[in-house]
Amino acid sequence: MASIAMDKPGATALLMGNEAVARGAIEAGIGVAAAYPGSPTSEVLPTIAGAAEEMNIHAEWSSNEKVATEVAAAASFAGIRSLSIMKQNGANVAADFIVNVNMTGIGEAGMVIFISDDPGGMTSNNEEDSRTITKWLDNPLMEASSAQEAKDMVKWAYEVSEAVNLVVFVRGVTRLSYTKGNVILGELPEKREKKAYFPAIWDMYNPVKSKFTSGPFPVFHKPLHEKLEKARAIFETSTFNRYMGPENPELLIITCGACTSYSTEAVEALDVGHRIGILKLGTTWPLPEKLVGKYLTSTKKVFFVEEMDPFVERSVMELAASMLPETSELAFYGKRSGHLTPYNEQSTDLVIEALRDILGLSYQPRDLNYEKEAEEAVKLVPHRPINMCAGCPHRATFWAIKNAIKLDGRNGFTCGDIGCYSMAFAGPGFFQARTMHAMGSGAGVANGFGNLKQFGFDQPVLAVTGDSTFYHAVLPALVNGVYNKSNFTLLILDNSATAMTGFQPHPGTGELATGEPAPVVDMEALCRSVGAEVRVCDPFDLEDTTKTLLEMMRKESGARVIIMRRMCELVRAKRKIPRPYTMHVDPGKCLGDSCGCDRLCTRILGCPGLMWDSEAGKAAIDEALCVGCGLCADICPVGAIIREEVS
Amino acid sequence: MSSNGRGSRKLIEDVIGAGLCTGCGACVTGCPYMVAYEGRIVVLDKCTVEDGDCYKHCPRTQTDMNAVSEKVLGVPYGAEEVGHALKIHMARSTDDQIKQKAQDGGTVTTLLALALDEGIIDAVVCTRMDEDKVPHGYLARSRDELLQCAGSSYEASFALEAYRKIPHESTDKLAVVGLGCETEALAKMKTDLPINSVNPDHVQLTVGLFCGWALRSNTFHPFLRGLCDPSQAVKFDIPHTPHYTFDVYTSSETKSLSLDEIRPYINPACQYCWDMTAEFSDISVGSAGSKFPGWNTVIIRTGTGAKLVELAEKKGIMETQPLPEWRLSHLKTVALNRKRTAFKNITEKTGDKNDLLYVGGLSEGVIDKLRED
Amino acid sequence: MAAKTLPKEPFNFIVAGVGGQGNVLLSAFVGTALIKEGFMVSVADTFGVSQRGGSVTSHIKISKETPYSSVTLKGKADVILGMEPVETLRTLGEFGNPQVISIVNPRPVHPSGGVAYPDLEEVKQAIVRLCAQTKFVNATEEALKMGNPIYTNIILLGALIGASVLPVDKETVMPILEERFPGELFDINLKAFNKGMELIASA
Repeated sequence: MASIAMDKPGATALLMGNEAVARGAIEAGIGVAAAYPGSPTSEVLPTIAGAAEEMNIHAEWSSNEKVATEVAAAASFAGIRSLSIMKQNGANVAADFIVNVNMTGIGEAGMVIFISDDPGGMTSNNEEDSRTITKWLDNPLMEASSAQEAKDMVKWAYEVSEAVNLVVFVRGVTRLSYTKGNVILGELPEKREKKAYFPAIWDMYNPVKSKFTSGPFPVFHKPLHEKLEKARAIFETSTFNRYMGPENPELLIITCGACTSYSTEAVEALDVGHRIGILKLGTTWPLPEKLVGKYLTSTKKVFFVEEMDPFVERSVMELAASMLPETSELAFYGKRSGHLTPYNEQSTDLVIEALRDILGLSYQPRDLNYEKEAEEAVKLVPHRPINMCAGCPHRATFWAIKNAIKLDGRNGFTCGDIGCYSMAFAGPGFFQARTMHAMGSGAGVANGFGNLKQFGFDQPVLAVTGDSTFYHAVLPALVNGVYNKSNFTLLILDNSATAMTGFQPHPGTGELATGEPAPVVDMEALCRSVGAEVRVCDPFDLEDTTKTLLEMMRKESGARVIIMRRMCELVRAKRKIPRPYTMHVDPGKCLGDSCGCDRLCTRILGCPGLMWDSEAGKAAIDEALCVGCGLCADICPVGAIIREEVS
Repeated sequence: MSSNGRGSRKLIEDVIGAGLCTGCGACVTGCPYMVAYEGRIVVLDKCTVEDGDCYKHCPRTQTDMNAVSEKVLGVPYGAEEVGHALKIHMARSTDDQIKQKAQDGGTVTTLLALALDEGIIDAVVCTRMDEDKVPHGYLARSRDELLQCAGSSYEASFALEAYRKIPHESTDKLAVVGLGCETEALAKMKTDLPINSVNPDHVQLTVGLFCGWALRSNTFHPFLRGLCDPSQAVKFDIPHTPHYTFDVYTSSETKSLSLDEIRPYINPACQYCWDMTAEFSDISVGSAGSKFPGWNTVIIRTGTGAKLVELAEKKGIMETQPLPEWRLSHLKTVALNRKRTAFKNITEKTGDKNDLLYVGGLSEGVIDKLRED
Repeated sequence: MAAKTLPKEPFNFIVAGVGGQGNVLLSAFVGTALIKEGFMVSVADTFGVSQRGGSVTSHIKISKETPYSSVTLKGKADVILGMEPVETLRTLGEFGNPQVISIVNPRPVHPSGGVAYPDLEEVKQAIVRLCAQTKFVNATEEALKMGNPIYTNIILLGALIGASVLPVDKETVMPILEERFPGELFDINLKAFNKGMELIASA
């Protein structure tokens, strides 16, 4: 709760993994941090930005992860340590730059990328193990197992990065990023003496000595592999790799990252610490083969405990194959054997289950009668679907879209995108978003549909994007749509926020990561300047919005834009803008279940501020959740929902 | 007259999806899930109600003609070609302003304006064309507003949708102007009261309009736009035989199209309609034919209708004359042909000469008379 | 080494609620206070999409000196602070056991999309059956009386501390509260905290 840059070496703070990463980078003396918001990493950059002035750091929200890594690389080129942060999808976006900077080398100062994956896709649109990217790109990779370790690892990663002249990846997962734990703080760095300077080095006669450009490429590829071997040698003796357990264990668990504590706790819960050894790897690519090989020969069974892909599992099995016949007796357990799944999140309970199977153990977490009673009782518990917040303008937008598409009658559809409005693929947005892929893919895919007329395609095409997503990834798609004359309408849901990830500022909000004012990149002017027709609507004016949608859907022209402009409800609340209305339901007028209503407001509109009073058989407003936006009053067929202006 | 567990899903299956929807608008009267738009019923959301008013009141779901006739006309359903009639004659308005806007005799506008004036009714559910001549259901509360509704669009307008505008607890006395399908739907509503919409017993007066078939807005209007600027049109007319034209009058000219050009835009559901003269009304009104330009044929079916017509005559705002026998005979022949054609089309569609789709509650004798080839 | 004693090693504390109830702030307060008392803690909150109207659970694992993962093992909860009745029951289903103690705010938050809420009395009885000890604290009611449902979580914090089921006392929590709610804000939040302590004493 105090500043992340507090000068109290040795003090203990309660920090989440993301905050610990920020602290580690600060302690390492970074000068530049660049990122794009992406759960589960969104807190790292704002934490650094909070201390930016104090510590003389340039902390920025870049428009996307590729730009963020380019920004960080430039700092490294100029002798300033830098950090870039992203979620797993960000690695996909940044990969093209990384593969190239791996060829040219970074600068004198280290560059670290912190990636946090999301097993189980709790805060993502997909499930993906980014570790393979680092292997594919040829970068060293470390995995943190706790907040304390995340801090220490990030700090050390800079030393490694400078020793081998490569970008180093530190990887976490959601559980690491968001779990708070005790972190003992280290020393803050000395004040930076040298000024930033870009040494443009080019040796015509000895291209390998050139920096920051590469060619001929195979000549540069070889040193890249040599750098990796250098990293491997460093990793062989890293204290982030630890063994705990007996000398010749019956079973060896090889684990890394967040799975470390699942493994240790599972062993403790089953009380088999005398039989099982745990090799915890902090450096997982390149694999410290001498170290791992030593432990491979001390046992007969190896069980791999890691999130998602059998990444370490495969590397170790490759190693084991190369060590034949010494390793011919080994039995391997993990993803390949089906003891753990390569999807969904791991947990201590899952590891316990796997160990029970492998070693034939028994384990009863709780009294069997209680178990039965608990199972019965849980049947009462209703499913709690995700929903948009009470007062969310997206609810109004998608209501208008739903109606306009039906009125139009040509089987129109909407291509969805990433943000709070992603929920439109399901009930909260009335099942309107019918495709859902990466950031900006809504407009991208709409482009494709909009050019199928010659094959008889006649369905109106809509695409949605948020304001932040627009600046992040949709511009090229809009340009494509105008240039290639693709027939679709782009809806920019401008709620003045990067809401889903936590209200980070973006190029349209007029604020930097540090809170300082920033120029506003005018969305409307930008769209018009690329040649698109632009309209602006307030989604809460359902009639006008529906009418505009119908008009735009019926045009036959290149890409055109409707900006649905209405502030996010949570932003309104944060800025203490007073609520517009108070709402109540007149039970005398409410038709509820019967013909003429069939619970339209609670069953279909589904705003959390509305509830169903099953005793009275009427709808009612939940005072604790309603924010007084007034939308439901327009939906009620008999005017039973009363909206009163707040004086 | 319950429909045994039928709601919007069944309505879509049995009527809308089966090509039977006439565009009367009864289903959307009390329902937030469906709207009438550009000549079609659009389902915006899915209702789960099992026994819905929409299915009950639709004129193309099972109708017990006898029960409806008893309720609305006080007599069982008979075999009269033009339906139950107390009196049939010709009439026209004496009011110049009304005559100028009228389709033929201005009878409907005159009678309704009178009813409003006398306080017999507070509002009229009727149809009004917008600037582009697309007709929509409308609620008129004054003579001026009624005048805006004068003139035929020859389209199905979902007139009953205007019913929606009347709040549940309203005590307004209403009149309804509609085609045969619309007045049949209203009659069904009176016979089996809607659960939550306005009580149709508030409807004091029903005026039916003769109708042979109706055009569909969503197909006809793109065609019309190709012909002229619809906002310039002042009147549409289909003059009776020997003419065979659809006339569009603008302020500068008259475009006369062969009826064959218009046929593609006729609602296919009309081929199953047996009610040319709007039999479930208090008064039914149509054109008196090309031999009597500017006159209406008026069929008075109930005491309520008779009283109003008498009052109009007494006040001198309407004049009447007897309908010549040959004219009545002609009307009956056309009306009977309509019924027979409808029954033929229906039994072809169902493939069963005993399955008459929505037509039910008739005695064998009546069916045979009407079906006779 | 901690001065206060931990009833069990490790000790599992869960806060169960719904997105928007202030779960995360509450667990952060508790975690920070525990560190001040000299314990090792691991605190995990469910984040992300579940915030928007979904279940939000915070797990806090407390140890004398061993860093554990945060998530409670199946059937191993020691104390549950239930900010919402069915969320409490959901948590008991997975993590409950015959020895668990719970403090519950019996105010339903209805699921959206017209999903029916079960009978509240049945839910409360099921909770009581599945716990060694249950105390109901009407935090939302009191918060609404104070003028804003936002005070619910601080009232519950007071109740939790007052119940003495964790090795944390009021003294340790106060400066943490003061740092987070400076000036005028502190007064109203202190009032909420004290209300919670009052409520648990009479529950």
